[in-house]
Amino acid sequence: MRLFEDMILKLGSVDRRFIFLLIGLAVLIPLLRPVDLPIKETPTTRKVYDAIEAIPSNSKVLMSFDYGPSTKPEIHPMTLGVMRQLLRDDHQIYITCLWPDGLYMALDALEEINQEFELTEYEDYVLLGFRPGNEAIVKGLASDLRKVYTVDSKGTMLEDIPMMEGINNLKDFQFIFTGSAGYPGTFEWVQYGGDPTGVPLSSGTTSIQVNEVMPYVQSGQIKGVLAGMPGAAEYESMISRPGIAIQGMAAQSFAHLVIVLFIVLGNLAYFITERRERKY
Amino acid sequence: MAFSTIFGAWIAAFLTLGILSYLYRDNPFYKIAEHIFVGVSAAYWAATFYWTQIYPNLFGRLFPKDGPLSFIAEVDFNHDFNILYIFPLVLGIMMLLSIFKQFNWMARWGIAYTVGIAAGLKAYGYLNSNVLSQISASAVDLFSGTLPIFNMSGDSVFNNLVILIGTLSALMYFYFSREQSGSYGKFTRVGIYFLMISFGASFGFAVMGRISLLIGRFNDLILFSSPEYNYGTFFMMAFIVIILGFWSFQNPEKKEN
Repeated sequence: MRLFEDMILKLGSVDRRFIFLLIGLAVLIPLLRPVDLPIKETPTTRKVYDAIEAIPSNSKVLMSFDYGPSTKPEIHPMTLGVMRQLLRDDHQIYITCLWPDGLYMALDALEEINQEFELTEYEDYVLLGFRPGNEAIVKGLASDLRKVYTVDSKGTMLEDIPMMEGINNLKDFQFIFTGSAGYPGTFEWVQYGGDPTGVPLSSGTTSIQVNEVMPYVQSGQIKGVLAGMPGAAEYESMISRPGIAIQGMAAQSFAHLVIVLFIVLGNLAYFITERRERKY
Repeated sequence: MAFSTIFGAWIAAFLTLGILSYLYRDNPFYKIAEHIFVGVSAAYWAATFYWTQIYPNLFGRLFPKDGPLSFIAEVDFNHDFNILYIFPLVLGIMMLLSIFKQFNWMARWGIAYTVGIAAGLKAYGYLNSNVLSQISASAVDLFSGTLPIFNMSGDSVFNNLVILIGTLSALMYFYFSREQSGSYGKFTRVGIYFLMISFGASFGFAVMGRISLLIGRFNDLILFSSPEYNYGTFFMMAFIVIILGFWSFQNPEKKEN
């Protein structure tokens, strides 16, 4: 027994770099040699899917790219998935960005989606682009979109874009989706976009935000939420279009197992040390 | 593949590995990557803000084509001349004057304006969405008889009871005008458990988020290690490991007592 305890004590005080290495390997190996793990949909993801399915065909949907390259692995698969689902039902997509680098994420997403759907700019989508101002922009869009945007991201006047006809504020959209990595993002869209206008709103967020966003889902202020990479993987599975989120889930699961193992070992080592110190 | 794409991939691989090298210990590669990140971010934000906001929305309205001030400059974004935009221009200049000691009091006006606007805007949104809507959502159905007793994920009497007890006990824990002892103390203790579960969930989500970002970086490194990118990841890794090994040999880690 004492030998076993000594072993746990040794493992509990292992050099942190060894733990980093193990987590790195736990992530890397499943990425190099993919492992198929079952993806089980959660009710919050199902709500997003159902809410988008419920939009009448040929509707106008606003998508906001509120994230940058740092959170691309989590949010990008979600926005790609939502765009695919929207385009299958011939919805028109209006893209805004509350983050400056959101514009490049949107361009990247459009380039990838274009290979599947052969999109026509100003018929299938319009990239309105980035405007600084955080929540003031959302509030501006809710009251008068044309004061916030006079031109799109390419500098084309909104009056010259056919699909902008009849679009004056958020109430002219049938649905809003935000891919959000923090501030400004989901909270601002709820507070200044969805709640005041009553337009159905859904969100895809980073894992870190999920706990704070969940009360909005519970209260119905948001129609479901795509929660981090698992949410993106579930969504990819629901739209039958496997992508990088599903590929990443095996790595995610193995890394979590290693972390849990070290949390257990660390706690065991703590209790053994405490007991021995008490004894002697 | 274009040279610029391959070159960009090599730089990305170098910077990613440079940042990850911090896991070994603080070193020059990490410092290089960190400083480049800070510098590029600051420049990128400044340029983006100027060209997407200040130039079209401020100068575009003060110096439009055929406007009264067009003899100074012409910024044509199809805006009409609006003299009111002189105020944000003056407030902005006043904020910049904070770098001069004798004028730094001027910055307070701009800051006061920004704080006032932000507070007013936040108060409305927060009160409406986070206070009123959440209070209304906490009024859960317990006794109507229409809900099942237990349901794993959807609405049920049991789940609604958990919401009710959790909300009340956690709120009561932050009521400090009464000593938390006796049956009242036991009830507030339940609130602590609810809070601890919430913190645990937050920690779990935070770990998941970080691992997701690591997966993203590894995916890129795997991509850049392919022949199309001329094995950029391998060359960069070899370069960093060799130099780092030499540097570590020259600068041995000091053992903590």
